[in-house]
Amino acid sequence: MTAMTVTPVPRSARTAAAAASVLGIAALAACGGTSAPPATDRSYADGTYTAEGTYATPETVETVSVTVTLADDVITAVEVVGDPKRRESEEHQALFIGGIADAVVGRDIDEARVSRVAGSSLTSGGFNEALELIKADAAE
Amino acid sequence: MDAAHVWEFEAIGTLWQVMTGRPVPGGVRRDVAELIELFDRAWSRFRGDSLVTALARGAGSVPAPPDAAAMLALYVAASEATEGAVNPLVGNALAERGYDAGYGFADAGAQPAPADWPARLTWTRASLTLAAPATIDVGALGKGRLVDLVAGLIGDGVGGPVVVDGSGDIAVRGTTERIGLEHPYDAARIIGVWAVADAALCASAVTRRAWGDGLHHVLDARTGEPVRRIAATWAVAPTAMVADAVATTLFFDGGPAFAHSQRAQWVRMFTDGRVEWSPGCTAEVFVRADSVEA
Repeated sequence: MTAMTVTPVPRSARTAAAAASVLGIAALAACGGTSAPPATDRSYADGTYTAEGTYATPETVETVSVTVTLADDVITAVEVVGDPKRRESEEHQALFIGGIADAVVGRDIDEARVSRVAGSSLTSGGFNEALELIKADAAE
Repeated sequence: MDAAHVWEFEAIGTLWQVMTGRPVPGGVRRDVAELIELFDRAWSRFRGDSLVTALARGAGSVPAPPDAAAMLALYVAASEATEGAVNPLVGNALAERGYDAGYGFADAGAQPAPADWPARLTWTRASLTLAAPATIDVGALGKGRLVDLVAGLIGDGVGGPVVVDGSGDIAVRGTTERIGLEHPYDAARIIGVWAVADAALCASAVTRRAWGDGLHHVLDARTGEPVRRIAATWAVAPTAMVADAVATTLFFDGGPAFAHSQRAQWVRMFTDGRVEWSPGCTAEVFVRADSVEA
């Protein structure tokens, strides 16, 4: 059972127990949701347990901290906290962001009077050739 | 620029366009061709006779190409700013996903690039050294560097206004270009216009160098997985190398801070259609006014 990855540590000393997988944490939380006893013969001492896990998203390496409270081998409380570093990081990032819009309105290249267009690199063929094809497609 | 002479050619797998006030002499064209050939022979992981291929095959140490120090120093900054998402040893990870020298496009799964790359890849004036074989991929800023070099040669050889467009990486000298920001999901449309004068604009998008099941050429080096949150980025900076590097970092969380440190402006579009831009950004982005948050 994945709940085994939780090691008893004092709540204040959040040691970097890096091994807990996100899957393990999800399974643990599910146990808490149903208040079912852990499916194991082992018995845990009552108390509060904290584990931290990390996982990589495409953009960041995230850390989550899970704190569970056990009484008679039943999880009575679960607290999942995202990585505060990420939130600070987002606030920090916000200093460097001028604005954001939910709705961008595309305009036809023909209407916009631009001398050239920048997007992803063309992989082959000519710029004008491709642009003509695009215009031909758009004209249909 | 108006009434320009246009010289088009293909190099490093894409189309180039050079615009000048007067024709580019044959000697300058040959110099440009030679410059590009030397750069490609140093840095292309797609050719068997390049320096990076020699290093990938275990050469250990090779004579340092002239651009090694400038490019790799900027890689260090970009890698630090993105907490390792940008990494010049991502070549093997790209090849594993199918973007290999033979364009096999067969996905062998996600493979992170070596996180300790600054310890493995070292350089001096004289040599470029890899402690263990790995594939260098300078895709995050290499084309921008080459655009700068070509623009420099053309400027010296021809004079007057110069625009060098390496298919999305554009250097503008002595003139102003109105550059459309291509909609990543609809190439017939643009999402904004940027008037660029005496600076460079570089664009990157996940939609064209793409293959297979959601795979494309912008990987997070920490995981080997393609980025999912950002669809396209544009950056304006004094040099194309910096603009290219900033456009790459903007696919990750650290991008805006990196842009600030490099004095670059930027626009980026998320895969859900939202658009974000830098403080004081001079681009005109076509947005619905009521959808904007400062």
